Formats: sequence, structure tokens, C-alpha cells
Amino acid sequence: MNSRAALFAQAIRGPILLITVGILFAMRQARVLELSSIVAVVLIVVGVLKLVERLYVPPPPPGGPRL
Amino acid sequence: MRSRGSLTGPLVLILVGFVFLVRALSPNLRLTDLIAHYWPYGLILWGVIALIEVCVRFRGNGPIPRNGVSGGAWAVVIFIALFGSSTFEMQRPDNWLRQVGFESGIQAFGEEHQYPVNTISRNVGATPHIILEDFRGDAKIRGTAGTGLSLSGQKSIASFDIQDADKANAASPVEVLTEGNTVTIRCHQDRLGTRTSVSTNLDLSVPSGASVEASDSRGSIDISSVTGNVDLSGGSIEDIRLDDLGGNVKVEARGTHSIHCSNVKGTLDLHGRGNDVELENIAGQVTVSGDYTGTVSLRALAKPVRLESMRTQLDARQVTGYVRLDRGSLDAKDLVGPVKLTAHATDVTLAGFTDALEVEVDRGDIELRPEHSAMGRMVVHARSGNIELAVPASAHFALSADTENGEIDNQFGDGLKESTEGRGARLEGSIGSGPDVNLITQRGSITVRKATGEEAAETKAAAGKRGGKGDPVLQRRSSFTLAADTFAAHSAALIF
Repeated sequence: MNSRAALFAQAIRGPILLITVGILFAMRQARVLELSSIVAVVLIVVGVLKLVERLYVPPPPPGGPRL
Repeated sequence: MRSRGSLTGPLVLILVGFVFLVRALSPNLRLTDLIAHYWPYGLILWGVIALIEVCVRFRGNGPIPRNGVSGGAWAVVIFIALFGSSTFEMQRPDNWLRQVGFESGIQAFGEEHQYPVNTISRNVGATPHIILEDFRGDAKIRGTAGTGLSLSGQKSIASFDIQDADKANAASPVEVLTEGNTVTIRCHQDRLGTRTSVSTNLDLSVPSGASVEASDSRGSIDISSVTGNVDLSGGSIEDIRLDDLGGNVKVEARGTHSIHCSNVKGTLDLHGRGNDVELENIAGQVTVSGDYTGTVSLRALAKPVRLESMRTQLDARQVTGYVRLDRGSLDAKDLVGPVKLTAHATDVTLAGFTDALEVEVDRGDIELRPEHSAMGRMVVHARSGNIELAVPASAHFALSADTENGEIDNQFGDGLKESTEGRGARLEGSIGSGPDVNLITQRGSITVRKATGEEAAETKAAAGKRGGKGDPVLQRRSSFTLAADTFAAHSAALIF
């Protein structure tokens, strides 16, 4: 994967998280979700986004750590 | 050359500015109400704008920001979430502040001073229009024979010293202003500063032909025995009690703790949000819409009813028995159909209903006990939940029951044919010649059973009550001057 795709995956993380938080709080106000469920769903979404980001980030160059 | 910065910030600023501009142009707009209820949608909009911007830059080979939402923006989001949630919680009638009684603790700062309100008596004619303006406190309004208005009561002023209380008392006289047919009762509590708090308790005796309106009022209002219309659509009234009214009633609840309304000859229109609602013996059409966190109880409603809350929508032509809606359950008895019910995450029990029935529940069990003598077509759909239908052994109907994932229990024997399909089952067939009954659940069991002797007797008794002379509901209704039945039929047609 190129670095631009990795940058894109990183950049959409914030907006998607913001939309998720908005939807979850709207559902809470409609009494569909409890606050504890919001925290759980946010953690899952953050985890998924981090996972996607890791998949897009190019692997580090081979060899030992740079001095 | 520097790359262009994010457009999201300016767009959000414009949106916020626009909201404040609308507020400045229409002072009646309740901005805190708007923020309390719609702030999550603001976050969604912000997220969508930021997402579109990132996507457009990615597709157009433009510079992509490292973070779609910056650290500073997240700080603003947290502030909005805290402010919005707090405002929403404060507006709920059952919020924690009220539950622990802290609110009364705030009012207890300073000492309470009592001042009498001088009695005012005036001739206002037989059918005056009474307006209670900017009122804070408890008001009892009683209709009496004659053309006189009489007002008495007392003021309770909370203040740190007696001088401030005296000043507040002098600055908040209770006045009765008459202009033609309109009688305005003004308590001037809005004139006072923040150092004192005045609560006025009024006892009003008005001509029985009066109509009553309360604008921008807080506290509790108790109105009885007036034949004119009652309009409580302004302010944040905590407790409302309305009894024996001859006209139409309109209530807009804003965090109202309890609403009780009984013996109304006209229509009733209740909208807003609150805790408990109790409506009984209403001769006109009833519309209840909004968000009510406690129990909604409807009894003896003679004309079409529409109940519309966040989780439930119910339409019925008449409620001769009762409807009780709690969080997570709806229990109704003796509804005159056609009945249409849509519910979300609610267990539904309907007994003794007549005519057609349409039920759709996404999550929750459904229990149906129709009144067989007037059983109509039934379409019942649950996305996830069990369905139980109990009909008398002598009932006639054509059944089609399907479950995609679950079992079917049939107590009507070989007249109904059962088959299994994958993890689900199907039951169909006819018992005599009767209306179609369709029961569908995607996940859950279906039970079609014969009603027990007790259940059958109950529905039979309900049928007798509806048709017989001994029906207390009918007796009460007969004392009313009901609107023409054609209006009811027309309204039912509009609803269904």
C-alpha cells in the first residue's frame, strides 16, 4: 500500500469517529442505547479504525533499528 | 505556497452563526431546547463535512490532512457533548437532580417569607377568556355559576433578608386586567432580580363558561369545571390537572412531571415531553405525541385516539377499556378497531380488541386475546419475539403463521396444518369461515391456543359492557354532548 492511502486511512479516522459518536448519542437520547453501550461501541470502532490504518501503513524497512 | 487549510472549521462556524442569527431574529425560539435535542446531529453533520473534505482531497490528489479532525476540534466536540448532554438531562422530568431532591435544596437557600395576596373580585361576564401571564407557582382555577371572578392566595418569597423580600413583594403585585372579554392575570414575577425568588399560589374562582390560557408559566396548574377551551401550550408547567372540562384542551408539555386529565367533552391534544400521563373519560378525539418517560395511561376514550411516542405509535377508533404504556411494555384492553400499532423494543399485550388489527414490533413478545364475536383481520409481524394468540375454542378464522427461526405450538388440532421449513415452521389452515389471521415472526415461537374459560369470560364480559346498559363508560359518555358521529368516522378514515 502506498503512503497516500495510509494517510487517507488515518485522515478519515477522526470524521468516522465523530459521526459514530453523534449517531450513538442520538440513539441514547432516543432511549435506544445506554451510556455504557456507547463507550463499548466507541472502543470497538476505534479498534477497527486502528486495524484498518495498520493494514494500510507500509511495513518498516528490513534490518535492525537505525542508529 | 501553503496548502489550503480545512474548510470544516469555517463551515461549522457559519452554521453556529446562522443558529444564533435565527435566535436573534426569533426571540421565541428556544435555543437550549434545540441544542439539548439536536446536538448529536450537529456532530454527525460536522463528521460528514470533514469526511467529504478528506475524500475530495484524496480523489483530487490534494494534500491530505494528517488528522481529519484536529486535537483542538476534539476539545470542542467534548465541550459540545458535555454541554448538550447536561442540557438534555436537565430538561428531562426524571433527571437525577430531581430524583435526589437537590433542586429543592437550591431553592432552600435563603429564607421563605409569606405574603398574602389581596382578594380581588370582579364581574367579568359569563364567558371570559382568562389568561395567566408569566406565572410562577401553583394555580387552582375553579368554574362556578355566575359572572364573577374572585382571586385570592399568597406569595412565597425566598430571600436572604427581609428587606429584599419586602421589595420583591412590592414589585410583584397580582393584577387583574380586563379588556373586553379578555381577563389577564399578571403576577409580575418576571420583574424581579436573581436575589429573590417568588412563587405565587393563586386560588381563582371563575365563571363556568370561561376559557383558560396559560402563557409562559411554571409550576402547577389545576383547572376544573369550566366549559370553555383550555390552552396550556406555553411555559414549563410541572404538574397539570384538568377535570370536568367542556371545551377542547391543548397542552404542550415541556418536562412536565405529571399530566392528569379527566372528563373532557372536547378534543385533547397533548404534545411535548414529560413523565406520567393519565387521560380518562375524554369524549373528543385524543392525540398524544412526544416523549414520556413514565407511564402513559389512557382510559375510556370515546373518539379516535392517536398515541405517538418515541418507541410506539398506536391508532384506535375507541378505547372502551384502557391502554397502559410503560417503558418496554404496552398493555391494552378493550380497544375498538381498526387498531394499528407499531412498537420498538416493547412487549405487547392486547386483550378484547375488535375489528381489524395491524401490529408491527421489531423486538418484543406479542400476546393477543381478541374478542371473538367481532374478530377482524389480523396482520401481526415481529422481527424478534414470540407471538401468542389465544382465541375462544368456538372462534372461526383462516390462519397463516410463519416463523423463520422457532417453533409453532398448535392447540387447534388437524384443522391447521403444520410444516417445518429449515429452522422455522409454518402453520396454516381454516377453522370454520372467518377473517384472515397472519402471524409472522423472524425469530421466535408462535403459539395458537384456545383461550381459557377465564379469558373467554373476560372478553365476553367486555363485549357485554360495550353493548349493554350497564356499561359505565357508555353511561358517562351519554352525559356528554358528543360531537356528530360522522366526525369520528371521518377522523378514523383520515387516520387509517
